[in-house]
Amino acid sequence: MDKIKIGIPRALIYYYYFPFWLKLFSSLGVEAVISDPTSREQLDQGVKNSLSEICVPIKIIVGHVLDLQQKGVDYIYVPRFKSLRKDAVLCPKFLGLPDLFRHSLPQLNDFIISDTIESKSDDISDYSNYTELAEVLNIAKSEMKKALKKASDLWQRYRKLLFDGYLIDEFLALDNIEALEAKISQLEKEDDLPQSRAEVKQEEGSEETLDIALIGYVYNVYDNYVNMDIINKFKELGVRIHTFSMVENEIIEKELAQLRKPMFWEFTNKLYGATQHFFKDNNIDGLIHITAFGCGPDSILGQIIELDAKKYEKPFMTLRIDEQTGESHITTRIEAFIDMLRLKKESS
Amino acid sequence: MRLSFPYMGPTIVYAKLLELLGHEVVMPPKPNKEIIDLGVKYSPEFACFPFKVLTGTYIKLMEKDVKNFVTSGGHGPCRAGYYGEVHQRILEDLGYDDVEIIVIDSIHDDYKYFYDVAKKLKGDSSWLQVYKAIRIVYDLTKAIDEVEKQVEILRAYHDNSVINKIWMEAEKEFYKIKDRNDVERVKNKYLEKLNQYSDKIPEEKDRYRIGIIGEIFVILEHSINYQVEEKVNHFGFEVERSLYLSDWINENVIPFAGKEIEEIEELGEEFIEIQIGGHAQENIGHILDFKKKGFDGIIHIKPFACLPELISQSVMDDLSEKYDIPVLTVSVDEQTADANILTRIEAFLDMIREKDYEEVV
Repeated sequence: MDKIKIGIPRALIYYYYFPFWLKLFSSLGVEAVISDPTSREQLDQGVKNSLSEICVPIKIIVGHVLDLQQKGVDYIYVPRFKSLRKDAVLCPKFLGLPDLFRHSLPQLNDFIISDTIESKSDDISDYSNYTELAEVLNIAKSEMKKALKKASDLWQRYRKLLFDGYLIDEFLALDNIEALEAKISQLEKEDDLPQSRAEVKQEEGSEETLDIALIGYVYNVYDNYVNMDIINKFKELGVRIHTFSMVENEIIEKELAQLRKPMFWEFTNKLYGATQHFFKDNNIDGLIHITAFGCGPDSILGQIIELDAKKYEKPFMTLRIDEQTGESHITTRIEAFIDMLRLKKESS
Repeated sequence: MRLSFPYMGPTIVYAKLLELLGHEVVMPPKPNKEIIDLGVKYSPEFACFPFKVLTGTYIKLMEKDVKNFVTSGGHGPCRAGYYGEVHQRILEDLGYDDVEIIVIDSIHDDYKYFYDVAKKLKGDSSWLQVYKAIRIVYDLTKAIDEVEKQVEILRAYHDNSVINKIWMEAEKEFYKIKDRNDVERVKNKYLEKLNQYSDKIPEEKDRYRIGIIGEIFVILEHSINYQVEEKVNHFGFEVERSLYLSDWINENVIPFAGKEIEEIEELGEEFIEIQIGGHAQENIGHILDFKKKGFDGIIHIKPFACLPELISQSVMDDLSEKYDIPVLTVSVDEQTADANILTRIEAFLDMIREKDYEEVV
């Protein structure tokens, strides 16, 4: 008998949890089919099938889900991410995501598996978050628990590498579990420094290496199509990139404790904590906030960090992306920003 | 304390409460072009429309030397719960160092903070006086809402200005009340006055009713929703909102009074399974409730890019088809044009009459 095929849209929180999901599905003996990297066609499909007013990451996931349907998968895994911490939830659009699919694309109703993920921490391996999945796949509780444990272990190892300074980008191309596990094992053994700390190789007489913190959600920072391949642009320009996923939880928590009232959205809080940490880090030359057009939580966060950047006297820029962003616009702006940082660094 | 608050719906209610607690209340100005422009200038570009209106209101009030503002908080996931924190920072950045935004958060979120705020607002009054003040204001809110509901029906059959005049008089007189007897007296007086106009209400089969749902600030505050209700009334349709200020108080302030709201939320679960913030789930429930009560159509108003309401808009087509109820969604922000809304409403209402006509034939 053929393996059951479960489709995972390469969008939104996939960029955060993909090692976990890949390991989970392979341990369960299920074939995980991941949608293709975002393309013009997918985005067009997404735009066509969602409200014009909604933010581009949601349009992208709609495109990816439609892509999966065409690939002939048996199910599509779109969990409802509710919380990853006590008293904080995710953006309302994450909370209502399965409702959005069920009622704006009713033809998908029989495909969607949408367990509610309600967790006290980033570790989402509690069995209660997978009851629907276990039922649909007809998997015993003990077996599911075993698979979750394996997935969680791998994810923890992977996270350690991120905290070390590796970019999620370095793992993303590996969308089969064997290659991913091999890469993780290899990096664990390696003595080389990750990009955020390694010397940037440069020819003689060339410019100074810069450290830039790229503040943004995983699905904006690592979706190379929608952000016009910003990470590689930076690499070419001799910039070391720092993102929130490199900042350990304890540091983020410490920064958050300074707020009278933390924000309501988990990842926005993570960004806030990491940003405060970067503000205080003398090695960071500047910060770029990359955000999607019409992002609600970011309209609040952006204002707060923009005002804080003034206080810390750190160069700060906001890059806004949507389905109509042009490549030259992004290039011009980051080049100008980098030139300015270099001038500043050289003159001091 | 000399203080003010954002303008939303029947502002006299908040003014009365703070006044009864012995504060010097400065009435906030009604949102207008100038305030909206100010707000847009000093708010983040993608903040929602209500946020910008509030920014403008605060800045305008500071010209009158008001330093303290009382506003509501919340625990999300709607952005509105975080307005106060961000406004405080924006005003400080503008150089207003001594401004304080007093955010009333739920007692469950942070007990100590709630207690501090309560003590600050209580001033020199005793807790008994506070209790009495709240009782009066609660009655007042309910009375105002009751009169307004009549207004929203009668305006459909009379020239808007005739009924509006009575409504404005009523609001003025409500502002002068001293105790709960006054509230009752004023309410009855104006209900009677309005009653004289009720003979024009046609037979049941000839009445058309539109339910208005959406984000609380834009449906309660007429000056920023481009007087949607009056526009609908103007074409001979009665209007009822899903939310009145007294509902909000029932839901958020009075414990155990939320039974009705729970039922509405349960209705909404068919389309939005869990609470996603704002009033998204209730709004869906209200549509189904309006349908049950025989309403002919729904107008859904939301600020541009409102997070929870975008999800409710996403499920709207499916709902509208399944339950056979026409829904018009209108986004408002600083760039909305009056004529746009008027045209869309007119077309929508024409369609409803036409639909009804076909069914009869």
